[in-house]
Amino acid sequence: MTMTEAQAIDTKYLNGNTKMIVENDTDEKITNLTTSTGSNFHIPPPAASRMKGGSANTKRRTVHAISNSIFVDNRNINATPKIIQDNNNNNKNAASSSSSNTFWKNENTNYFKFTFYKIVLAVLFFMFGIFRYCQLQYNKSKLKILDLLYNPSNTPQLIRQDVVKLNKIPSRLAAILEVKPIGDVGGGLKGILNDASELVCWTISAGVKHLSLYDYDGVLQKNTDELRNAIYEHLSIYYGPANVPNFAIRIPHFNKILYNTKVKGDIKSKVAIEVSLLSNRDGRETIVDLTRTMAELCSNKELNVNDITVDLVDTELKQLVGQEPDLLLYFGPSLDLQGYPPWHIRLTEFFWEEDNNQVTYSVFIRGLKQYAGCKVNVGK
Amino acid sequence: MIPSAKRLIRGPLIRSANYTVESSITLFLYVFNQLHIVFMRIVPQSVRVWWQKFLQDIFIAILKVGPIPEHVSFIMDGNRRYAKSNNLPLKKGHEAGGFTLLTLVYICKKMGVKCVSAYAFSIENFNRSEEEVQTLMALFNAKLEEFANRAQDYKDPLYGSKLRIVGDKRLLTPETRAKLKEVERLTKDGKDFTFYVCFPYTSRNDIQHAIYRNSKDYIENRIKLDDINLEKFSEKMYLDEFSQKCDILIRTSGHRRLSDYMLWQSHQSSTIEFVPTLWPDFTFTQMCLIFFRWSFFTTIQMYNEHEGSQQYIWKNFLPSIPFMNKTHYEPLESLADPPVAVSVLG
Repeated sequence: MTMTEAQAIDTKYLNGNTKMIVENDTDEKITNLTTSTGSNFHIPPPAASRMKGGSANTKRRTVHAISNSIFVDNRNINATPKIIQDNNNNNKNAASSSSSNTFWKNENTNYFKFTFYKIVLAVLFFMFGIFRYCQLQYNKSKLKILDLLYNPSNTPQLIRQDVVKLNKIPSRLAAILEVKPIGDVGGGLKGILNDASELVCWTISAGVKHLSLYDYDGVLQKNTDELRNAIYEHLSIYYGPANVPNFAIRIPHFNKILYNTKVKGDIKSKVAIEVSLLSNRDGRETIVDLTRTMAELCSNKELNVNDITVDLVDTELKQLVGQEPDLLLYFGPSLDLQGYPPWHIRLTEFFWEEDNNQVTYSVFIRGLKQYAGCKVNVGK
Repeated sequence: MIPSAKRLIRGPLIRSANYTVESSITLFLYVFNQLHIVFMRIVPQSVRVWWQKFLQDIFIAILKVGPIPEHVSFIMDGNRRYAKSNNLPLKKGHEAGGFTLLTLVYICKKMGVKCVSAYAFSIENFNRSEEEVQTLMALFNAKLEEFANRAQDYKDPLYGSKLRIVGDKRLLTPETRAKLKEVERLTKDGKDFTFYVCFPYTSRNDIQHAIYRNSKDYIENRIKLDDINLEKFSEKMYLDEFSQKCDILIRTSGHRRLSDYMLWQSHQSSTIEFVPTLWPDFTFTQMCLIFFRWSFFTTIQMYNEHEGSQQYIWKNFLPSIPFMNKTHYEPLESLADPPVAVSVLG
């Protein structure tokens, strides 16, 4: 196992479990990532967390979860405190002192009624689970058929031909990638490198000049050399080893730019694509850091507080993170923004395929199609 | 030669893929809805009203026992298209939208949601025609007064809710500002439920406002530099304690973008739902199905997280099996001595 693979493993789902493994001996990298609050784990939204990962999410486990939910007594969490309605004395004073409305008192405080509703809810959950399973299978087969239709996709002419039919393409594209469990198809560090470089090739072929790749842990940022080689290899499969297009990889967080190793012509003037690598660090934390800097500047009288406007913040964040993308592709089963820089998704169009879990060309081209059909009217 | 052959194969196939296949959940809803409509046509009016109320109450009571989202947010998109498609004046579309919002807020409150926020007016909306802005403002004032009155009425289901109007109020006229302040003051004692109306709001403005307030507090020595961190930063945002996270964000009318709303709140671990219906057509059933779906997945997520914790009562009654759940580790030295090691070589 190479060093880089070992690096990737400790920041990845192990055996598909929802708990992440972080080793202490690699704290050098982790300190880069850990937030000032110390939380390094992304909690996906419920729907997405259900559909990701392997062993943690079997059907049996779902059944367990639902049947167990009957026994969870969460009345104290959700329900407002029990108030006995007093018919003789329901004047306004009594109500305002208790702060809860006795007219609309909580009916579920009765234990038997509560349990009955719990059971009904569990039955509904089971029914929904079965329906959901059918839906999942339907969506999966739909995606399989789409994949077949849009295959083979490793020829630039074909991709360009698909794109030419559209009336507009985004000028900046962004994609959220994630490291999958090692056991899965396309899992591990190799998997994410492969996905990223495939995506770069499609983007070049489609004629989009800017691509932002986001992954929560910054695995791509840490393995830039591998990424550069992987992109180069993929591009030489697409365009032939003799004329690989020039590309630039930018890491805004470290303020670093890399070009492809074998330069063809004048590199800086003729870059076919600029790839920027983002991670969770570029999101909320950058904004908080910016706040600190601005607060310090203000206290040193170098900046007036009233000069902090949306435009100023925008220019600063553009410098620190980059431009706002027009289209954001997510290759997961249900939309999960994973802390993508919040300032930069203002008018961004989102695209993801329901129940898809792979980086495939069909998702990419369908995203571009959706973008071509959308209409943006800011405020109007 | 090969690319042209591929083109031959791919051409017709791709055209057939352009049909958007009805997703199965829409199909299911459609069939259910049609059956329900037929049923509703047969029965008399009184039964119909009773039946609808009965169904609603039952469904709310059932959903209430499961996990409930804390913060629900709406982007009310599609009022104008609704008016256009029904040949109504624009004003009617906005009125219908306002009605839908109040109904849904009432249902959310009944279900036990702690906070609802709605995108009433964007800063960018000032770009609309003068007439429409005026109409919107007037309608908005009327609705706010209605809400405030209902929140004070002891017999109303909205009793006990707090109304907060948040956003960059400097952009409003002084009269409007005074009026909003008055409405907020009327309902400031509500504790059960908070209703945030974002007016005029954009999320970028919200973030900038938080940066501004943090910097200002720092130079006035009210906070230290260490107090500007991820947790405390969002306290300075418009939605107070609900600024950290929004559990469900619903956007109607099918656009798949956030349009400068709740960027900070929803870019991490929140469920974002894009619904194709126009806002005035968005009904109780659709919202409850979204809640139900969320509740289903949250139940599973909670089970995965809290497995083995005290929350699951029955686990306390299980007999503990020795060596199955290790809680205590013995050091190697404390083990009994092994037998004497003897090599065959002697």
